[in-house]
Amino acid sequence: MGTVITIDVYPASAADVAWTADLRRRLDRARMVLRHADDVFSTWRRDSPVSRLRRGEITASEAAPELAVVMEACEVARRLSDGWFDPWAMPGGFDPSGYVKGWAAQRALAALDGLSMYGALVNAAGDIATTGCQPSGEAFRIGIADPDEPRRLAEIVELTGCIATSGTYERGSHLVDPHSGLPAARAASASVIGPDLGLADALATAIAVAGTPGLDLVEGLAGYEALVIGWDGRRHSTTRFAFAEASGPAVAR
Amino acid sequence: MKRAPIVIAGTVAGLVAVLEFHTTPAKLTLAGGSSIAPAATPVAGPTTQPGSGGTKPARRSKHGSASGQTASRSATGQEVNYNYGVLSVKVTASGSKITKVAIAYLDDSGDPRSQLIDEQSIPILEQEALRAQSANIQGVSGASYTSEGFVQSLQSALHSLGM
Repeated sequence: MGTVITIDVYPASAADVAWTADLRRRLDRARMVLRHADDVFSTWRRDSPVSRLRRGEITASEAAPELAVVMEACEVARRLSDGWFDPWAMPGGFDPSGYVKGWAAQRALAALDGLSMYGALVNAAGDIATTGCQPSGEAFRIGIADPDEPRRLAEIVELTGCIATSGTYERGSHLVDPHSGLPAARAASASVIGPDLGLADALATAIAVAGTPGLDLVEGLAGYEALVIGWDGRRHSTTRFAFAEASGPAVAR
Repeated sequence: MKRAPIVIAGTVAGLVAVLEFHTTPAKLTLAGGSSIAPAATPVAGPTTQPGSGGTKPARRSKHGSASGQTASRSATGQEVNYNYGVLSVKVTASGSKITKVAIAYLDDSGDPRSQLIDEQSIPILEQEALRAQSANIQGVSGASYTSEGFVQSLQSALHSLGM
Protein backbone atom coordinates (compact mmCIF):
# COMPACT_ATOMS: atom_id res chain seq x y z
CA MET A 1 0.00 0.00 0.00
CA GLY A 2 1.57 3.28 -1.04
CA THR A 3 1.19 6.15 1.38
CA VAL A 4 2.37 9.67 0.88
CA ILE A 5 3.83 11.20 4.02
CA THR A 6 5.04 14.77 4.17
CA ILE A 7 7.25 16.44 6.72
CA ASP A 8 7.19 20.24 6.95
CA VAL A 9 9.84 22.05 8.96
CA TYR A 10 9.71 25.75 9.93
CA PRO A 11 13.31 26.90 10.54
CA ALA A 12 13.99 29.46 13.25
CA SER A 13 16.52 31.33 11.14
CA ALA A 14 18.07 31.22 7.71
CA ALA A 15 19.14 27.66 7.03
CA ASP A 16 22.91 27.39 6.95
CA VAL A 17 24.95 24.45 5.76
CA ALA A 18 25.27 22.88 9.20
CA TRP A 19 21.56 23.15 9.94
CA THR A 20 20.65 21.73 6.57
CA ALA A 21 23.03 18.81 7.08
CA ASP A 22 21.51 18.18 10.49
CA LEU A 23 18.02 18.30 9.01
CA ARG A 24 18.96 15.85 6.28
CA ARG A 25 20.30 13.37 8.84
CA ARG A 26 17.14 13.68 10.86
CA LEU A 27 14.94 13.18 7.81
CA ASP A 28 16.95 10.05 7.04
CA ARG A 29 16.12 8.82 10.52
CA ALA A 30 12.46 9.74 10.09
CA ARG A 31 12.36 7.86 6.83
CA MET A 32 13.89 4.81 8.50
CA VAL A 33 11.33 4.95 11.29
CA LEU A 34 8.51 4.98 8.77
CA ARG A 35 9.98 2.25 6.62
CA HIS A 36 10.61 0.06 9.64
CA ALA A 37 7.05 0.55 10.83
CA ASP A 38 5.86 -0.51 7.41
CA ASP A 39 8.14 -3.56 7.48
CA VAL A 40 6.74 -4.70 10.82
CA PHE A 41 3.09 -3.72 10.61
CA SER A 42 2.05 -3.83 6.99
CA THR A 43 -0.76 -6.35 6.62
CA TRP A 44 -0.14 -6.12 2.86
CA ARG A 45 3.28 -7.71 3.20
CA ARG A 46 2.96 -11.46 3.52
CA ASP A 47 6.05 -11.87 5.66
CA SER A 48 5.73 -8.92 7.98
CA PRO A 49 5.69 -9.84 11.66
CA VAL A 50 2.08 -8.73 11.96
CA SER A 51 1.03 -10.91 9.00
CA ARG A 52 2.82 -13.87 10.47
CA LEU A 53 1.16 -13.20 13.81
CA ARG A 54 -2.22 -13.06 12.10
CA ARG A 55 -1.58 -16.44 10.50
CA GLY A 56 -0.55 -17.88 13.85
CA GLU A 57 2.98 -18.61 12.67
CA ILE A 58 4.48 -16.66 15.54
CA THR A 59 3.28 -15.64 18.95
CA ALA A 60 3.34 -12.11 20.30
CA SER A 61 6.34 -12.86 22.48
CA GLU A 62 8.31 -14.15 19.48
CA ALA A 63 7.50 -11.13 17.33
CA ALA A 64 9.46 -7.90 16.92
CA PRO A 65 9.62 -5.77 20.09
CA GLU A 66 7.67 -2.98 18.41
CA LEU A 67 4.78 -5.36 18.01
CA ALA A 68 4.63 -5.89 21.78
CA VAL A 69 4.76 -2.13 22.39
CA VAL A 70 1.95 -1.53 19.93
CA MET A 71 -0.14 -4.37 21.33
CA GLU A 72 0.09 -2.86 24.80
CA ALA A 73 -0.89 0.55 23.51
CA CYS A 74 -3.79 -0.98 21.60
CA GLU A 75 -5.02 -2.64 24.78
CA VAL A 76 -5.05 0.76 26.48
CA ALA A 77 -6.91 2.23 23.51
CA ARG A 78 -9.37 -0.66 23.54
CA ARG A 79 -10.23 0.00 27.16
CA LEU A 80 -10.41 3.77 26.78
CA SER A 81 -12.74 3.35 23.82
CA ASP A 82 -14.99 0.86 25.61
CA GLY A 83 -14.14 -1.71 22.97
CA TRP A 84 -15.21 0.44 20.02
CA PHE A 85 -11.59 0.23 18.89
CA ASP A 86 -10.56 -3.40 19.07
CA PRO A 87 -7.74 -4.66 16.84
CA TRP A 88 -8.28 -8.20 18.12
CA ALA A 89 -11.82 -8.28 16.81
CA MET A 90 -10.87 -7.47 13.22
CA PRO A 91 -11.45 -9.94 10.38
CA GLY A 92 -8.30 -11.91 9.69
CA GLY A 93 -6.88 -11.50 13.17
CA PHE A 94 -5.10 -8.83 15.15
CA ASP A 95 -4.95 -5.67 13.03
CA PRO A 96 -3.48 -2.58 14.67
CA SER A 97 -3.60 -0.45 11.51
CA GLY A 98 -5.98 2.02 13.16
CA TYR A 99 -3.27 2.81 15.71
CA VAL A 100 0.00 2.24 13.87
CA LYS A 101 -0.25 4.99 11.27
CA GLY A 102 -0.50 7.68 13.95
CA TRP A 103 2.06 6.00 16.17
CA ALA A 104 4.62 5.80 13.37
CA ALA A 105 4.03 9.36 12.21
CA GLN A 106 4.63 10.73 15.68
CA ARG A 107 7.82 8.69 16.03
CA ALA A 108 8.99 10.12 12.72
CA LEU A 109 8.37 13.63 14.05
CA ALA A 110 10.45 12.79 17.11
CA ALA A 111 13.47 12.46 14.82
CA LEU A 112 13.40 16.26 14.60
CA ASP A 113 13.63 16.80 18.37
CA GLY A 114 16.50 19.16 19.10
CA LEU A 115 16.54 20.79 15.68
CA SER A 116 16.40 24.58 15.86
CA MET A 117 12.98 25.46 14.50
CA TYR A 118 9.68 27.17 15.25
CA GLY A 119 7.81 23.98 14.63
CA ALA A 120 7.29 20.98 12.42
CA LEU A 121 4.47 18.87 11.10
CA VAL A 122 4.27 15.28 9.88
CA ASN A 123 1.23 14.43 7.81
CA ALA A 124 0.71 10.72 7.25
CA ALA A 125 -2.22 10.48 4.88
CA GLY A 126 -4.33 12.73 7.07
CA ASP A 127 -2.95 11.78 10.49
CA ILE A 128 -0.98 14.81 11.59
CA ALA A 129 1.58 15.17 14.39
CA THR A 130 2.95 18.63 15.17
CA THR A 131 5.44 20.23 17.45
CA GLY A 132 5.75 23.96 18.04
CA CYS A 133 3.84 26.47 15.96
CA GLN A 134 4.01 28.72 12.92
CA PRO A 135 6.83 31.28 12.80
CA SER A 136 4.26 33.98 13.60
CA GLY A 137 3.62 32.30 16.94
CA GLU A 138 0.15 31.26 15.90
CA ALA A 139 -0.92 27.66 16.28
CA PHE A 140 -0.96 25.54 13.16
CA ARG A 141 -4.24 25.75 11.29
CA ILE A 142 -5.40 22.40 9.98
CA GLY A 143 -8.30 21.80 7.66
CA ILE A 144 -10.57 18.79 8.05
CA ALA A 145 -11.68 17.40 4.70
CA ASP A 146 -15.40 17.36 4.04
CA PRO A 147 -16.41 13.67 3.93
CA ASP A 148 -18.97 14.52 1.26
CA GLU A 149 -16.54 16.35 -1.01
CA PRO A 150 -12.93 15.76 0.05
CA ARG A 151 -11.61 18.63 -2.02
CA ARG A 152 -13.54 20.96 0.30
CA LEU A 153 -12.78 21.69 3.89
CA ALA A 154 -15.50 20.99 6.44
CA GLU A 155 -13.79 22.72 9.34
CA ILE A 156 -10.52 24.38 10.31
CA VAL A 157 -8.94 23.81 13.71
CA GLU A 158 -6.17 25.53 15.63
CA LEU A 159 -3.94 22.62 16.42
CA THR A 160 -1.66 22.03 19.35
CA GLY A 161 -0.43 18.46 19.29
CA CYS A 162 -1.92 15.92 16.94
CA ILE A 163 -5.07 15.28 14.96
CA ALA A 164 -6.39 12.07 13.43
CA THR A 165 -9.45 11.72 11.26
CA SER A 166 -11.24 8.51 10.41
CA GLY A 167 -14.07 7.98 8.01
CA THR A 168 -15.15 6.62 4.70
CA TYR A 169 -13.14 8.96 2.54
CA GLU A 170 -12.14 6.13 0.27
CA ARG A 171 -14.24 3.23 -0.87
CA GLY A 172 -11.28 0.99 -0.15
CA SER A 173 -11.29 1.69 3.55
CA HIS A 174 -13.88 -0.15 5.58
CA LEU A 175 -14.59 0.41 9.22
CA VAL A 176 -15.59 -2.68 11.15
CA ASP A 177 -17.75 -2.73 14.27
CA PRO A 178 -15.79 -4.90 16.71
CA HIS A 179 -19.00 -5.97 18.45
CA SER A 180 -20.51 -7.51 15.36
CA GLY A 181 -17.50 -8.04 13.11
CA LEU A 182 -19.44 -6.34 10.32
CA PRO A 183 -18.70 -3.14 8.41
CA ALA A 184 -20.32 -0.20 10.16
CA ALA A 185 -19.73 3.53 10.14
CA ARG A 186 -22.26 5.52 12.11
CA ALA A 187 -20.56 8.81 11.28
CA ALA A 188 -19.27 10.15 7.98
CA SER A 189 -16.08 11.19 9.73
CA ALA A 190 -14.61 11.57 13.20
CA SER A 191 -11.61 13.68 14.16
CA VAL A 192 -9.71 13.48 17.44
CA ILE A 193 -7.19 16.02 18.69
CA GLY A 194 -4.71 15.16 21.45
CA PRO A 195 -1.08 14.77 22.44
CA ASP A 196 -0.65 11.14 21.30
CA LEU A 197 -1.34 10.51 17.63
CA GLY A 198 -1.57 6.72 17.91
CA LEU A 199 -4.27 7.02 20.56
CA ALA A 200 -5.99 9.81 18.62
CA ASP A 201 -5.95 7.55 15.56
CA ALA A 202 -7.52 4.67 17.53
CA LEU A 203 -10.15 6.92 19.11
CA ALA A 204 -11.06 8.49 15.77
CA THR A 205 -11.55 5.00 14.36
CA ALA A 206 -13.70 4.07 17.37
CA ILE A 207 -15.89 7.17 17.07
CA ALA A 208 -16.33 6.81 13.32
CA VAL A 209 -17.79 3.37 14.04
CA ALA A 210 -19.78 4.35 17.16
CA GLY A 211 -21.08 7.66 15.84
CA THR A 212 -22.02 10.68 17.96
CA PRO A 213 -22.42 8.70 21.22
CA GLY A 214 -18.70 7.95 20.88
CA LEU A 215 -17.95 11.57 21.78
CA ASP A 216 -18.63 10.62 25.40
CA LEU A 217 -15.49 8.50 25.29
CA VAL A 218 -13.40 11.60 24.68
CA GLU A 219 -15.34 14.21 26.65
CA GLY A 220 -13.98 12.75 29.87
CA LEU A 221 -10.46 12.18 28.55
CA ALA A 222 -8.17 15.02 29.64
CA GLY A 223 -6.22 16.55 26.78
CA TYR A 224 -8.37 15.09 24.01
CA GLU A 225 -11.17 16.65 21.97
CA ALA A 226 -13.27 15.21 19.18
CA LEU A 227 -15.54 16.18 16.30
CA VAL A 228 -18.10 14.04 14.52
CA ILE A 229 -19.56 14.87 11.12
CA GLY A 230 -22.78 12.93 10.75
CA TRP A 231 -24.15 11.42 7.60
CA ASP A 232 -26.63 14.31 7.61
CA GLY A 233 -23.71 16.74 7.55
CA ARG A 234 -24.37 17.95 11.09
CA ARG A 235 -21.40 18.57 13.37
CA HIS A 236 -21.19 17.39 16.96
CA SER A 237 -18.12 17.96 19.10
CA THR A 238 -16.71 17.82 22.61
CA THR A 239 -16.92 21.01 24.62
CA ARG A 240 -13.48 22.41 23.94
CA PHE A 241 -12.88 21.29 20.38
CA ALA A 242 -10.52 23.87 18.91
CA PHE A 243 -12.47 25.30 16.01
CA ALA A 244 -10.62 28.13 14.32
CA GLU A 245 -12.25 31.20 12.87
CA ALA A 246 -13.68 30.25 9.53
CA SER A 247 -11.90 31.98 6.72
CA GLY A 248 -12.47 32.22 3.03
CA PRO A 249 -14.66 30.32 0.65
CA ALA A 250 -12.79 27.09 1.23
CA VAL A 251 -14.86 26.27 4.29
CA ALA A 252 -18.30 24.89 3.62
CA ARG A 253 -20.50 24.65 6.72
CA MET B 1 9.28 26.24 5.57
CA LYS B 2 10.89 23.19 4.12
CA ARG B 3 8.77 20.43 2.74
CA ALA B 4 10.10 16.94 2.34
CA PRO B 5 7.54 14.63 0.81
CA ILE B 6 8.32 11.04 1.58
CA VAL B 7 6.63 8.46 -0.55
CA ILE B 8 6.46 5.09 1.14
CA ALA B 9 5.89 2.33 -1.32
CA GLY B 10 5.40 -0.57 1.01
CA THR B 11 5.09 -3.24 -1.60
CA VAL B 12 7.74 -1.99 -3.98
CA ALA B 13 10.76 -3.59 -2.36
CA GLY B 14 10.69 -1.09 0.49
CA LEU B 15 11.71 1.75 -1.77
CA VAL B 16 11.46 5.10 -0.11
CA ALA B 17 12.01 8.16 -2.23
CA VAL B 18 12.35 11.73 -1.08
CA LEU B 19 10.69 13.55 -3.90
CA GLU B 20 11.79 16.99 -3.09
CA PHE B 21 13.57 19.01 -0.50
CA HIS B 22 13.63 22.75 -0.82
CA THR B 23 13.38 26.08 0.94
CA THR B 24 10.37 28.32 0.82
CA PRO B 25 9.75 31.64 2.54
CA ALA B 26 6.37 32.20 4.16
CA LYS B 27 4.02 30.10 2.12
CA LEU B 28 3.92 26.79 0.42
CA THR B 29 5.54 26.56 -2.97
CA LEU B 30 6.79 23.73 -5.08
CA ALA B 31 9.82 24.87 -7.01
CA GLY B 32 12.20 27.75 -7.44
CA GLY B 33 10.28 30.11 -5.14
CA SER B 34 7.38 30.55 -7.51
CA SER B 35 3.83 29.94 -6.32
CA ILE B 36 1.66 27.22 -7.65
CA ALA B 37 -0.97 28.47 -10.06
CA PRO B 38 -4.04 26.32 -10.46
CA ALA B 39 -3.41 24.38 -13.62
CA ALA B 40 -5.61 22.54 -16.00
CA THR B 41 -5.37 18.76 -16.04
CA PRO B 42 -2.75 17.92 -18.63
CA VAL B 43 -3.74 16.08 -21.76
CA ALA B 44 -2.37 12.56 -21.78
CA GLY B 45 1.00 12.59 -23.48
CA PRO B 46 3.04 9.81 -25.03
CA THR B 47 4.57 7.39 -22.60
CA THR B 48 8.33 7.71 -22.38
CA GLN B 49 10.60 4.73 -22.28
CA PRO B 50 11.37 3.67 -18.74
CA GLY B 51 15.07 3.70 -17.98
CA SER B 52 17.03 0.56 -17.33
CA GLY B 53 18.51 -0.48 -14.04
CA GLY B 54 17.04 -0.70 -10.58
CA THR B 55 15.17 2.03 -8.81
CA LYS B 56 17.05 4.00 -6.23
CA PRO B 57 16.05 6.64 -3.70
CA ALA B 58 15.87 10.02 -5.38
CA ARG B 59 17.07 12.68 -3.03
CA ARG B 60 17.77 16.27 -3.85
CA SER B 61 18.58 19.06 -1.48
CA LYS B 62 19.01 22.67 -2.40
CA HIS B 63 18.49 25.75 -0.35
CA GLY B 64 17.92 29.20 -1.66
CA SER B 65 16.64 29.75 -5.14
CA ALA B 66 17.07 27.15 -7.81
CA SER B 67 20.08 27.39 -10.03
CA GLY B 68 21.30 25.48 -13.01
CA GLN B 69 19.19 23.78 -15.62
CA THR B 70 15.60 24.90 -15.48
CA ALA B 71 14.27 23.57 -18.74
CA SER B 72 11.00 21.86 -18.11
CA ARG B 73 10.75 18.19 -18.95
CA SER B 74 8.14 15.60 -18.24
CA ALA B 75 7.52 11.89 -18.30
CA THR B 76 4.47 9.73 -18.03
CA GLY B 77 4.73 6.62 -15.94
CA GLN B 78 3.56 3.16 -16.85
CA GLU B 79 -0.14 2.48 -16.93
CA VAL B 80 -1.03 0.51 -13.85
CA ASN B 81 -4.09 -1.18 -12.48
CA TYR B 82 -5.49 0.41 -9.37
CA ASN B 83 -8.65 0.09 -7.28
CA TYR B 84 -11.12 1.26 -9.89
CA GLY B 85 -9.42 0.90 -13.24
CA VAL B 86 -6.24 1.94 -15.01
CA LEU B 87 -4.19 5.07 -14.59
CA SER B 88 -0.86 6.61 -15.39
CA VAL B 89 0.89 9.51 -13.73
CA LYS B 90 2.69 12.36 -15.42
CA VAL B 91 5.54 14.11 -13.70
CA THR B 92 6.97 17.45 -14.80
CA ALA B 93 10.32 18.60 -13.52
CA SER B 94 12.39 21.70 -13.85
CA GLY B 95 16.02 21.05 -13.16
CA SER B 96 16.01 18.70 -10.20
CA LYS B 97 12.70 19.90 -8.81
CA ILE B 98 9.33 18.37 -9.43
CA THR B 99 6.93 21.08 -10.49
CA LYS B 100 3.83 19.11 -11.24
CA VAL B 101 2.42 15.67 -10.62
CA ALA B 102 -0.89 14.78 -12.18
CA ILE B 103 -3.00 11.98 -13.55
CA ALA B 104 -2.13 11.67 -17.24
CA TYR B 105 -4.56 8.92 -18.08
CA LEU B 106 -7.39 7.33 -16.18
CA ASP B 107 -10.01 4.81 -17.10
CA ASP B 108 -12.46 3.80 -14.40
CA SER B 109 -15.23 2.64 -16.73
CA GLY B 110 -17.18 5.75 -15.88
CA ASP B 111 -18.28 4.62 -12.44
CA PRO B 112 -19.66 7.83 -10.91
CA ARG B 113 -18.68 7.12 -7.31
CA SER B 114 -15.17 6.14 -8.24
CA GLN B 115 -14.96 9.22 -10.46
CA LEU B 116 -15.16 11.37 -7.34
CA ILE B 117 -12.54 9.31 -5.62
CA ASP B 118 -10.34 9.30 -8.72
CA GLU B 119 -10.48 13.05 -8.90
CA GLN B 120 -9.49 13.46 -5.31
CA SER B 121 -6.65 11.03 -5.68
CA ILE B 122 -4.76 13.66 -7.58
CA PRO B 123 -1.60 13.92 -5.55
CA ILE B 124 -1.39 15.88 -2.38
CA LEU B 125 1.71 17.64 -3.63
CA GLU B 126 -0.48 19.70 -5.90
CA GLN B 127 -3.96 19.51 -4.42
CA GLU B 128 -3.00 20.14 -0.85
CA ALA B 129 -0.82 23.03 -1.86
CA LEU B 130 -3.72 24.71 -3.60
CA ARG B 131 -6.05 24.23 -0.64
CA ALA B 132 -3.41 25.36 1.81
CA GLN B 133 -2.86 28.58 -0.06
CA SER B 134 -6.54 29.46 -0.28
CA ALA B 135 -7.42 28.88 3.38
CA ASN B 136 -4.16 29.74 5.10
CA ILE B 137 -3.80 26.26 6.51
CA GLN B 138 -0.72 24.15 6.96
CA GLY B 139 -2.28 20.74 6.41
CA VAL B 140 -5.44 18.75 5.83
CA SER B 141 -6.71 15.88 7.96
CA GLY B 142 -9.12 13.28 6.69
CA ALA B 143 -8.69 12.67 3.02
CA SER B 144 -6.38 9.77 2.57
CA TYR B 145 -4.19 9.60 -0.48
CA THR B 146 -3.34 5.97 -0.76
CA SER B 147 -3.12 4.32 -4.08
CA GLU B 148 -0.58 1.67 -4.78
CA GLY B 149 -1.12 1.92 -8.50
CA PHE B 150 -0.60 5.66 -8.39
CA VAL B 151 2.68 5.29 -6.53
CA GLN B 152 3.95 2.68 -8.95
CA SER B 153 3.22 4.83 -11.96
CA LEU B 154 4.70 7.86 -10.23
CA GLN B 155 7.91 6.01 -9.54
CA SER B 156 8.23 4.81 -13.10
CA ALA B 157 7.81 8.39 -14.27
CA LEU B 158 10.44 9.59 -11.82
CA HIS B 159 12.75 6.88 -12.98
CA SER B 160 12.32 8.01 -16.58
CA LEU B 161 13.33 11.48 -15.52
CA GLY B 162 16.43 10.12 -13.80
CA MET B 163 15.22 11.26 -10.41
